[in-house]
Amino acid sequence: MSVLELPSVREEGWRWSDPEAIAAAAAMSWSDAPVDPADYFLDLPGARIVVRDGEVDQAASDLHRVTLGHVEAAEHALGRRTAGPGWVLELAEDAAAHPVQIVHVSTGGSNHFAGAIRLADDAAAQVVETYVGAGWANRGLSVTLGKAARLMRAVRLIQAGGFTSLREDATLGQGASLVTSFLGAGAAGTRIDATIVAGEGAFAEYGGALLSAGEQRQECAVAVRHAEPNGQSHQLWRAVAADRSTASLAARVEVARHAQKADGEQSLRGLLLKRTATVNLKPELEIFADDVKCAHGATVGELDARALFYMQSRGIPRARAQALLTRAFVADALDRIGSVVVREAFVADADAWLAAAL
Amino acid sequence: MATKNAEAHAAVSKKYEWGFATDIEQDFAPKGLSEDTVRYISAKKGEPEWMLDWRLKAFRLWQTMEAPDWSKLNVPPIDYQDAYYYAEPKAKATIKSLDDLDPEIRRTYEKLGIPIEEQKLLANVEGAEPPRRVAVDAVFDSVSVATTFRKELEAAGVIFRSISEAIREYPDLVRKWLGKVVPQRDNYFATLNSAVFSDGTFVYVPEGVRCPMELSTYFRINAENTGQFERTLIVADKGAYVSYLEGCTAPMRDENQLHAAVVELVALDDAEIKYSTVQNWYPGDENGVGGIYNFVTKRALCQGRNSKVSWTQVETGSAITWKYPSCVLAGDGSVGEFYSVAVTNNRQQADTGTKMIHLGKNTRSTIVSKGISAGRSDNTYRGLVRVGPTAENVRNFTQCDSLLLSDQCGAHTVPYIEVRNPSAQIEHEATTSKISEDQLFYAMSRGLDQEAAVALIVNGFAREVLKQLPMEFAVEAQKLLGISLEGSVG
Repeated sequence: MSVLELPSVREEGWRWSDPEAIAAAAAMSWSDAPVDPADYFLDLPGARIVVRDGEVDQAASDLHRVTLGHVEAAEHALGRRTAGPGWVLELAEDAAAHPVQIVHVSTGGSNHFAGAIRLADDAAAQVVETYVGAGWANRGLSVTLGKAARLMRAVRLIQAGGFTSLREDATLGQGASLVTSFLGAGAAGTRIDATIVAGEGAFAEYGGALLSAGEQRQECAVAVRHAEPNGQSHQLWRAVAADRSTASLAARVEVARHAQKADGEQSLRGLLLKRTATVNLKPELEIFADDVKCAHGATVGELDARALFYMQSRGIPRARAQALLTRAFVADALDRIGSVVVREAFVADADAWLAAAL
Repeated sequence: MATKNAEAHAAVSKKYEWGFATDIEQDFAPKGLSEDTVRYISAKKGEPEWMLDWRLKAFRLWQTMEAPDWSKLNVPPIDYQDAYYYAEPKAKATIKSLDDLDPEIRRTYEKLGIPIEEQKLLANVEGAEPPRRVAVDAVFDSVSVATTFRKELEAAGVIFRSISEAIREYPDLVRKWLGKVVPQRDNYFATLNSAVFSDGTFVYVPEGVRCPMELSTYFRINAENTGQFERTLIVADKGAYVSYLEGCTAPMRDENQLHAAVVELVALDDAEIKYSTVQNWYPGDENGVGGIYNFVTKRALCQGRNSKVSWTQVETGSAITWKYPSCVLAGDGSVGEFYSVAVTNNRQQADTGTKMIHLGKNTRSTIVSKGISAGRSDNTYRGLVRVGPTAENVRNFTQCDSLLLSDQCGAHTVPYIEVRNPSAQIEHEATTSKISEDQLFYAMSRGLDQEAAVALIVNGFAREVLKQLPMEFAVEAQKLLGISLEGSVG
C-alpha cells in the first residue's frame, strides 16, 4: 500500500486527512490479536458476529437473521475497496429484529469488508459495531430504508492502533428514520465518510464524539442531502483533542431544489485540551430551496474558565472539575443512543478515555 | 410564494442601468499574452528595469500554473490569448481644466454618478466646493486619468498616486511593499496580475497621520476585450489612519471580460485601514450572457501591534465573483473585520468570503456576511478562520446569513475553522431563510407595496453591513440592493 494509491491532501475533501497514517496502518505487521472479541459484546439478545481481519469468523459468530453475500460498494476512494463478500441484514415489511452486534478485530495489515442493511417498509433494526485490534480496517456500508423504516446504529472505534475508515451510503424512504452515533475513543486514526439521502419527511440524525490523543488524527466528512420536502436532520458532533492530535469535523447539509420545508441543523464543537492539539471544523450548507430552515453553530475553545472556577470554589479539585466538564461536553453527542445498555457501554469507554487523557 | 405580478416582471426584466460604452480613441497593446506583451506594458509605463524583471518573473511563473477549480463556480474556459492586456485612452493623463477633458469621459462620469461638484474638482474649476471631502483617483480603463486633492494630501504627507506614477516617483517605497502581502506565486490570478497589471492606486500614509479625507477610486472597464488588472497597494505607517473607497461600474458587453485585480494593504503599529467596496459591474443579461469575471485577490497584513484592517463590501454585480478579502493578523492585538453583502440575481455566481489568519497574541476578528440570492443564481460564502499555535487569547465571531428569494437559486456556506491554540474562542453562526410571509404581510398591511416591503426587509437584513459603509457609499449601496432585487420576490 503506497500513499500514492490513497487520496491526496491536495483534494479539497481530504485536506485534513492523513493518508500516511493509512499507509502506515496497512503496513503494520501481523500479530496474534491479544483481544478477545467476546469481551466487546454487550448484554443484548440477537446476532453476535465476529469479523476477523475482514472475514466473518463463523465459529465465533451467531448470525441470527444476518446473511452473508456479495455486497457492492459505492464509488469512493476508500469505500470502493470494500466491494465483495460482506454481511447483509434484510428485513421484510413490519419486521423488527433483535439487535445485531458486530465486533471487527484487526490484527495488522489491511482488511476490507462491506455490509448492507435493507429494511422494507415499517421495519425496525438496531446495529452496534465495535472496532478493536490494530491495522487498517476499511469498511463500506449501504443502508436502504423503506417507508417509515427505522434504524438505530451505534459505532465505537476503539482500535489500539492503526486506522479505521468507514464509508456509508444511506437512502431513506418516506418518513424513514436513521439515527447513527459514533464514538472514537481508541488510539487509531479515523476517517468517517458518509452520504445520507433523505426522502420525503425522513429523519436523519448523524453525529458522535471523536476523542483524540497522542499523534492521532480523527475526522468525519458527512453529508446529509434532503432530496425531498419536509425532511429533518440533525448533525451533532463533538471533538476533543489532547496532546498533538487533530480532530476534524466536516459536516454538510444539502437541500435539493424542490425539497421545501427541510430542517437541517448542525452543531459542531471542538474542545482543545493541550496547546499542541488542533481542531478543524467545516459546517457546510448547500441550499437550493427557498423555504427551508437551516442553521449551524460551531465553536472551538478550551473549557470555560468561569465554570472551572465555580466548581473549584465549591470544593471540587481542579482535575475533577475538568473531567466533569469534559464529560458533559462529550455526553451531548452520546445521549442520542436509544438503548440504555449501549449508551452506558459507550459512556464507559468515553470515561476511560477521559481518565487516561486528563 | 405569493402570486407574481406584472410590475414585478417589469422590474426584473429591467436592463442594466449603467450599461453604456464610451467611444473614445484608445491605444491598444497587441492582442494576446506573451513576454512581449509584458515588455510592451512595462515600456509603455516607462518602468525601471527591476519592475520589468519582477513582471517577467511573475509571467514565467504563471505559465507553469493551472487555473483553480475548487470553488463552487462554473467558469467557462478563458482564452487568455484572445484579449487585450493594455488599453490607454489617448486623452492626456494630466488635465488642467474641464474643457480639456474628453467630453466622452465627462459624459461617462456623469452616467457614473460622479457629482457635478466632484467633476468640477476633477477639472480644477474655480470656486468649486466639495459637499464632502473625497479625493478621487479615477481609473478609466487601465490608466489613471486624473487625481484630485493631490496638493492637500501632500501637505499632510499622504502619497496618493496611480501605481505607475508611484513606481517612478517612489521606487523604494513601492519596491519595499509590492508583492509582500500577495506574493507573485500566490494564486493563478494574482500571478497573472503581477505580470500584466496596467495601473492602480498607491497610497502611503506616513507615521501618525490621519488621512484628512476619504480616498476614492472609480474603476471602470471600458474597451471591449480588455481585461483590467489593477494593482492597489496601501501602506499605513505607525499610528496612521486611512479610509479608502472603491466603487465600480462597467458598460454592457456581450463578451465576458476578465478582471483580476490585486489589492495589498499593510498596517504597521497602531495603524488602521478601512477599505470599502461597492461593486456593480455588468452581471450579464437574464440568461447569463456577457458579464464580468471578477477574480480578485485582496489581502491585508496587520503587521504592527494593535493595527486594524476593516473590509466592507457590497457585491451586486459581475457574472462570476471569486473574491476573498483576507487579513493576516500578525501583530499582537491586531484586529481584522469583514462585513459583506453579496447579492446575486439571474444567472450570477458569487463565491466570496474571507480568511482571518490569527498569528499574533490577543488578535480579534469579526466576520459578518449576508448573502442574498434571487433568480437562478448561486451565492456561496467561503471562509477560513485559522488560529496559529502561538496566537494566545484569540477571539473570533462569525455570522453568515443567507436569504433566498426564489426557489431556483442556491445559497451555500463553506466555513473552515482551524484552531491550534486552546485559548482561542471561536464562534460561528449561520442561518438560511427566506423572507417570511409574516414580515411581508405586516409591512404590506402598513401600506407598503410588495416591492417596497421586500426592499425594506432586505435592507434590514443587510443593515449590519451597510452601516459600516461611509455615508455616500451607504446611499449608493442601498439603491443598488433595491435595483438588484426589484421584482425578484413575487
